Amino acid sequence: MRSSGLSRQNIYVLISSLVLLIMVLLFSFLVLIPKGKEYRIKRSEMIKVKKEAYRYEKFNNDTLSLLKKLQGANRYTITALSTPFSEDRFLKQHKKYFKTLNLSKRVVSEKDGVFLTYDVNTSSKISSPKSIYDFLDAINKSDWIIGVNFPIKFTREGDMIYSTFSMKVYETDKKDLNSSK
Amino acid sequence: MRYSYINPRKKSAFTEDMQLLLIFFSITLLMLSLTYIFLLFKEYKFTEDKKNMAQKQVDLNISIYNMKKQITLIEKQNILAENIHTKNAVLKDSITNLFDLVPQRITLSEATLLENGLILQGITPNKDVYNFMLQAPLRSIFHRTYSSFYPANNGWLRFVSTNYIDKEEEEDELDAE
Repeated sequence: MRSSGLSRQNIYVLISSLVLLIMVLLFSFLVLIPKGKEYRIKRSEMIKVKKEAYRYEKFNNDTLSLLKKLQGANRYTITALSTPFSEDRFLKQHKKYFKTLNLSKRVVSEKDGVFLTYDVNTSSKISSPKSIYDFLDAINKSDWIIGVNFPIKFTREGDMIYSTFSMKVYETDKKDLNSSK
Repeated sequence: MRYSYINPRKKSAFTEDMQLLLIFFSITLLMLSLTYIFLLFKEYKFTEDKKNMAQKQVDLNISIYNMKKQITLIEKQNILAENIHTKNAVLKDSITNLFDLVPQRITLSEATLLENGLILQGITPNKDVYNFMLQAPLRSIFHRTYSSFYPANNGWLRFVSTNYIDKEEEEDELDAE
């Protein structure tokens, strides 16, 4: 007998379609769409984080290039301030300006900021003031950063001039050097 | 296909329509699930990337801090070296000026350069030579000048000249300039 309505198989198909459709809709609206929204928020957050990271990296690179530039431009000063003072080397380099040159033992005088300073007393004999001018020119190109201090005393001894003065040798404190690396 | 009046044909719920329907919905659900898995994977990747970037930022911060410290140190070193070199150059000029200042008729026996002064000892033929040829230029340089004389064996005069620059007045003069 043939019914006028839907066949049983068609009803199965219809019910299955409805159940599956509801499942698809539920999955979409309850799971997939909220996840999608979350994804969009996280993606925009990620873009912000990436921009920030790029900004940091650029600043890091700029700082690095500035540091390299400064290190290149001030190589002499950096080397001079990190070289320990050697009395023998100093005498070898500067004795030519004097008839006699004597250095007293260096004494750590004080810590001036990040710099250690050594006091070195000097006594010398020169035949003309030109020697001391040449010495002061040479000291500015020496292996160390050295400042000649007051008082400077010149005493006449026959044809010679006996001079005494103290020098301050500056050296970067190794502790500060290490902590900055 | 064989037909029979006795044995009924086997009927299955999985008709062709039903199979088509199931295939369609299976593919749909599979695609939706894959999308969901993709979103889950992306979310996990974002979290991981964010964690890595945060660590990288911390590292960069440390690196920038250290580099800035080094830059400050180099700047300090540079300023110190420039100051010392300038001081040495000024000192050289001061010594040059000192030796140029003394006229040939006056002989120095001792000269002491102080930070804010100059002490000269020597002999002069007479007071006038000293006053005109040495004291006058000294007075133009220093704020306070004191001189004392005592006779030497050869009839000349030994002199001690003490000269000072007052720091306050020097600062006022620099401000006025």
